[in-house]
Amino acid sequence: MDPFYHWLETTSLSLWVNRETQWLWPTMETLHFIGLSLLVGVAGFFDCRLLGMLRGVPVSAVKKFMPWALVGFAINMTTGILFFISQPKVYAANAAWWPKVFFIVVAGLNAMFFETALGEKMLALPPDADTPLSFKIVGAVSLMSWFGVLYFGRMLAFFGTQFSGL
Amino acid sequence: MLKLMWALEDSAFAQWVAGAPTVWAYPSILTFHTVGMGIVVGASAVLDLRLLGVGPEVPIARLRNIFRPLWFGFWLNAVTGVVLFIAHAAEKAFQEVFYVKLAFVALALVTVVRIRREMFPDDTTPDRPVTTKVKTLAILSLVLWAGAITAGRLMAYINLG
Repeated sequence: MDPFYHWLETTSLSLWVNRETQWLWPTMETLHFIGLSLLVGVAGFFDCRLLGMLRGVPVSAVKKFMPWALVGFAINMTTGILFFISQPKVYAANAAWWPKVFFIVVAGLNAMFFETALGEKMLALPPDADTPLSFKIVGAVSLMSWFGVLYFGRMLAFFGTQFSGL
Repeated sequence: MLKLMWALEDSAFAQWVAGAPTVWAYPSILTFHTVGMGIVVGASAVLDLRLLGVGPEVPIARLRNIFRPLWFGFWLNAVTGVVLFIAHAAEKAFQEVFYVKLAFVALALVTVVRIRREMFPDDTTPDRPVTTKVKTLAILSLVLWAGAITAGRLMAYINLG
């Protein structure tokens, strides 16, 4: 992977982030936090419905909020990629990094599973019925994995450099 | 004032929070503060988005329960916030951007409470119409929370220490 990281460090995007650090990094971090709030709020709302809360409201109706979770995710993916390519070796060596990536992947696969395997069931579910176990599991996995992403994301500042972080 | 802040920061509790070489001290408290932010801003965002027309098949009246996680997130952050403050009281007490953040949080909460009074005045209100006033409050709420997040992040950069 080392040659790949080295190449990333030579890209113009990487050089740009490193050059403009004074205003760019805090701006990217702020956007990253705004994105995560949007993502956690909307996805968390949907996950609560999957777990059976808000009974009587069709699951498909709640799902209409999801594009806004994707907006949050897109903001974070963009800022996240910029963070990473600015110093790939630092992230790769940070003990909190790969767990964070792992939980992002789990959250993504979980969402895709719901989309592909449970979509029809969602449309057929009567609003007053309790959600099936499969929905509850997807909701729980989603909440836990996004918490994992947040936890290890925050810990990036601490795991890597013995509590000298922000 | 400075003496009081130093006294807080020198307390055994504050020293543990700030200095203990364990992930359960400062890092965890900061993580919970981030979680609380996700919950309070996230819950507010869902409510604001609905008021602005997203997901129209969700009856607004059913969103009265969203205030529970919203207040939970707020109180989690109020408590963790006080702890984080105490750990570095002497520095934070004189950090202007910290007070800017508190102002944004206060204003955002006022907006949330006003939305609640307009849309959920009592426990049994059926769907009330979303007036322009409420839509404006919803947009304002989003902007104010974004301001709080920005000021909060800038605390790590705009300081004397």
